[in-house]
Amino acid sequence: MAGPSEEPRALLYRALDEHGDRLYAFALRMTRDPDLAADAVQEAFTTALRKFDTFRGESSVATWLHRIVYSKAVDLIRQRGKEIPLPADEEAVLGPEDDRLARTPAWARPPDEILQGRQAREALEAAMKQLTPLQRAVFTLREVDGMSTEEVASVLGLEPGTVRVHLHRGRLRLRALLSEHFKGVPS
Amino acid sequence: MTGDCGELGRRLTELRDGALGESDCAAIEKHLAECASCGGLHRDFEDLARLCRESERPRMPLAVRLRIEQALK
Repeated sequence: MAGPSEEPRALLYRALDEHGDRLYAFALRMTRDPDLAADAVQEAFTTALRKFDTFRGESSVATWLHRIVYSKAVDLIRQRGKEIPLPADEEAVLGPEDDRLARTPAWARPPDEILQGRQAREALEAAMKQLTPLQRAVFTLREVDGMSTEEVASVLGLEPGTVRVHLHRGRLRLRALLSEHFKGVPS
Repeated sequence: MTGDCGELGRRLTELRDGALGESDCAAIEKHLAECASCGGLHRDFEDLARLCRESERPRMPLAVRLRIEQALK
């Protein structure tokens, strides 16, 4: 892992090479708008360069950049004013609605035999758009980007236990949303 | 589905994270093997994760990359 002693511009160039696509994909999932996603990532790199002295190397550069992209994306979503709730508005404790979702009938298996790969991915993308921004962020970072729960917590400024609550809720909602496509039998 | 299922469902994420001790893991895995509802939930989470891993990630457009490179100069 590159440390903060590396020359900032060189380090950020390297980060752009290594993590640019992931950062853009994350911003796109958050904002659901290619122009806003581009702005979020560009502003994140500009901010990272300007505030490089605040990077202490306690997390990886990738985690740090994801944190800035997330912050920029949330700002842009707020400015657009179309999508709520944002992090502070969401319950961090699982409740009866989550239990109800858990009782959704299991999918028939395997889903790939029901929908071809591309159709399955399109169904997944459509379902992800129905998650809240926080659920989408947690789910994308954990399941798509493969970050650990601790890294996701660091990106989003949450406790690991809170990340698990939102991750579980996001999984339950996606499972229920996708059950239309991957229909099974009630258990 | 039993009264334990609600709590167990919530702990599936901890199980998948490797955040549980050995005895908790064993108890949950035993329940998953015995309870069709929770077993189905667990398998669906596994399938969902696989679907995500296999999904194509959008790439950063060249124009965006060039803008960022310019900003870093």
